[in-house]
Amino acid sequence: MLLNFNSLGSWKWVLLAITFLTAAFLLLPILFIAALSFGSSQWLIFPPPAWTTKWYSQLFADPRWLDAAWTSFRIAVMVTLLSVVIGLFAAFGLVRGRFFGRTLLRALFMTPMILPVVVLAVALYAFFLRIGLNGTTTGFVIAHLIVALPFSILALTNALEGFDKSIEDAAVLCGASPLKARLLITLPSISHGLFSAAVFSFLTSWDEVVLAIFMASPTLQTLPVKIWATLRQDLTPVIAAASTLLIVVTIALMLVTALVRKGLKA
Amino acid sequence: MASPTSALEEQTTTRFRLGDRSSTLPALVLILIFFVLPVLALLARSVTEPVLGLGNYVELLGSSTYIKIFFNTFFVSALVTVISLLIGFPVAWALAIMPQRLATVIFAIVLLSMWTNLLARTYAWMVLLQRTGVINKALLGLGIIDKPLIMVNNLTGVTIGMTYIMLPFIIIPLYGVIRKIDPALLQAAALCGANRRQALTSVLIPLAMPGMAAGGLMVFVMSLGYFVTPSLLGGTSNMMLAELIAQFVQSLVNWGMGGAAAFVLLVVTLSLYALQLRLFGAAGEGGR
Repeated sequence: MLLNFNSLGSWKWVLLAITFLTAAFLLLPILFIAALSFGSSQWLIFPPPAWTTKWYSQLFADPRWLDAAWTSFRIAVMVTLLSVVIGLFAAFGLVRGRFFGRTLLRALFMTPMILPVVVLAVALYAFFLRIGLNGTTTGFVIAHLIVALPFSILALTNALEGFDKSIEDAAVLCGASPLKARLLITLPSISHGLFSAAVFSFLTSWDEVVLAIFMASPTLQTLPVKIWATLRQDLTPVIAAASTLLIVVTIALMLVTALVRKGLKA
Repeated sequence: MASPTSALEEQTTTRFRLGDRSSTLPALVLILIFFVLPVLALLARSVTEPVLGLGNYVELLGSSTYIKIFFNTFFVSALVTVISLLIGFPVAWALAIMPQRLATVIFAIVLLSMWTNLLARTYAWMVLLQRTGVINKALLGLGIIDKPLIMVNNLTGVTIGMTYIMLPFIIIPLYGVIRKIDPALLQAAALCGANRRQALTSVLIPLAMPGMAAGGLMVFVMSLGYFVTPSLLGGTSNMMLAELIAQFVQSLVNWGMGGAAAFVLLVVTLSLYALQLRLFGAAGEGGR
């Protein structure tokens, strides 16, 4: 009755109304920002009096925004590579190893995911001040790696647990070296896990704000830090342009993920 | 995984160390040096700076200023959790039973909003809710209000901004729970004479309760430690705990108090997660 859409009667319309309103609530702010980034009003008047691309020109003409975007990208790529490789090793150990304290170790690896990020940010900030890593690319990469790694390990342990190890054993029995069997049989079979781990790690670093605020220096800041610093002064439409570009990157990554998932299933 | 330990497995695992405890070493070293050590060092500073003892905690838990911040943090988190559940439940319910094609579109919107950069979303609300923003303009134009509502730098702003962020974390897990409920149970309720309202309150809601409790607890815990949205959309009079920690460290350079406040947040968060694990197992764990 209540779980059959067509026998809900009048409630069906109530549920649909709430759902559409919520979808609008979730979608409209994003569309609104995209529209405002092309609006001519400095004061973000909506609907805009005229359309323009001047905020994008300002964005691309300002080396500080470009620097910040490049820094974000560089750091996110390094975090992705390290997170996938270290995560893969850890996942092999957690899934295949039979040793004391394995469950505890897995829980430890997941802790950075549940710890409030502001606590980690303050702790790492103090630590990096002491060892001289504050405001360095290395510091950024380490900080983001700590929060990206749990997602990577989670995706890869799930993938490895779903992989039938006897296939790898069969390759070894047929004469492949264990290393070769893993590279040519196991890794391709868990490619969806590798892909999820990479996408999650990249987005974790690319979108991360709180750690970045503490790690940043006047000469080294990521895109979110630049947006944060600008936002605290005024709501300039340049931020709308920067946000729209970030949203485009997100949509592109979501589409690629959906396509890759489809491709891997087929 | 269920295969017995064969001689082959023995051979491969002893010769190649990839399936061994040692391959977890890089991750372990990284976590120990750059996670466990700094967090412990920060906590150590809370009981050693400026002098050895629990002075910082006494000050933190004894001052009405700080107590007000703790109270406000809990209040905002609870409010956001309740509103998210009230909106999230009907949406998850509708998603679970609506035509597949429509559900896919709604799902894509939920995921898009969840994946959109946090600052971009917060910026959108700052612009929408401001005094001269589109919401005030519309309400004024419709004659509903005669002077602009103040919706930023106060409780309204934080609540709207945080609910926006937390809704997907309720909708997605709750959808999974409702989907798994057997429709026959509700048919049985109808056959036994229950009307829709009775079926809702005594069958559907109780069956969905584990999902609501797990999702609600997760959202509550996440809200407790939130920093960005409260500091941009909230006011100085309703500061939250994460902002207090940042302020102690960045503006006041008081590591003792900062460490103590961080420790309070850490203990509350970890105990609520422990409670969640105890009540619902690992099902509420995010990141899938």
